[in-house]
Parts: sequence; C-alpha cells; structure tokens
Amino acid sequence: MDEFQSGEEASFVVDEVSSIIKEAIEGAIGGNAYQHSKVNQWTTGVVEQTLSQLTKLGKPFKYIVTCVIMQKNGAGLHTASSCFWDNSSDGTCTVRWENKTMYCIVSAFGLAI
Amino acid sequence: MGELGPDDGAGNTYSLRPGLQHRFKSSSVKECIHVILKEKLANVQYNPEEMPELTKSLSETIKDRLKEEGYDRYKMVVQVVIGEQRGEGVNMAARCFWDADTDSCAHDVFMNDSLFCVVAAFGCFYY
Repeated sequence: MDEFQSGEEASFVVDEVSSIIKEAIEGAIGGNAYQHSKVNQWTTGVVEQTLSQLTKLGKPFKYIVTCVIMQKNGAGLHTASSCFWDNSSDGTCTVRWENKTMYCIVSAFGLAI
Repeated sequence: MGELGPDDGAGNTYSLRPGLQHRFKSSSVKECIHVILKEKLANVQYNPEEMPELTKSLSETIKDRLKEEGYDRYKMVVQVVIGEQRGEGVNMAARCFWDADTDSCAHDVFMNDSLFCVVAAFGCFYY
C-alpha cells in the first residue's frame, strides 16, 4: 500500500500574490488615461495576466481573479466579499491601484484542492 | 463529510464528483441573488456613511442564503460591488482557474437612480 506524499507545503502566500497582481496592473494599464473604448480590453488583460502568473506558481489551488476599473469622477465605490472555505488553507488578496483618471481594484481568491 | 455514492460492492462510497442535482447551478444562484438584491436595495439611496456596512452585510446575507440552498461540499466566494451613479464608466471582469465540470459562477446587477450593485458568486467543489 503506497503512502500518499503530499509534497511541499502549499499555502496561499499573500505577498507573493500581491506582487503578481501589481505587476499585471502596471503592465496592462500602467501609464494610460481612462478610455471607454479600451477599458474592456484592460480589465480582461489584467485578469488574464494575473491568472496565468498565479497558475505558473504550480500550487494545488483553484483561483478566481476579479478586476474592477472605474473612471474618476467623484463617485464612491465600495466592494466586499464573503467566503465560505477553509481558513487554514485558502486565502485572498485585494490590491487597490489608481492613477489620475481611474481606479483599479483587483481581488484574487485561492481555494485549496 | 463525503456524501455517499452508490455502493459498488467494494465498500467505496466517497464520491469525487457532485451528482447532477448537487451541481452549483448558475441559473438558480442568479435567481437567489436577484431576489435578495431587490429586497435589500429597493429604496436605498447612496450614502457614503452607510454603504460600507451595507456592502458587507449584503455579501454575508447572500453567502448564508447560498449555504442554506444546500450546495454540499462546495466552497463559495461572494463578491459585492456597490457604486454611486454619477455617469462614470465602470468595467468589471473575472477569470477563474478551476474544474469547469464541477465549478461555476453566477452574477447579477441591480440599478436604481442613485446606485448600482454588482454581485458575483463563485462555487468550487471540494474533492
């Protein structure tokens, strides 16, 4: 009867994920001003880049990445998330980024298999 | 914890996949979210002091409601975004890395004159 080896300890490392998200945001919308025609492309670019970098970490996790980009015009925005999971293995990381014309909020959730 | 599948004679009853009735169904979750949003946000005006509490309580309420629906062995994530309506442009996107056979998501949008609210609920099966 083979003994199941679980390999290296896998947990959701918030700092690592946070830097991945920041790089993805800088890469996709770094020096740009809000443009209605491009914003769709930007949000998908940010999430896809974040997701592909997260999967390259090779950890046994399922990932969910969401991104909200909002034009700055004085309006308020609130986000909240509620999760039903295993606190010891699962985690989340949210990054808020802004420039002169827009806000970008990216949330990444990692759920252990 | 495992739900019992049919006994195949060898005594193996731990099922690795949800049965058809137990899948995280997009349409019924969306309906559930829609009902809660209509009830909680019907006459609410955007108010910067109250919004943080409202957003948090809405996400807790929706998560609890989904738990009651009985999605056994599903881990769930509910995200709520509420913003003021001032004519600004907003765009939201999500991508997931999961098992497309067992996992799913649902979303709904509610708007009135002073605010808009987007709720996204994700369900991932725990093997």
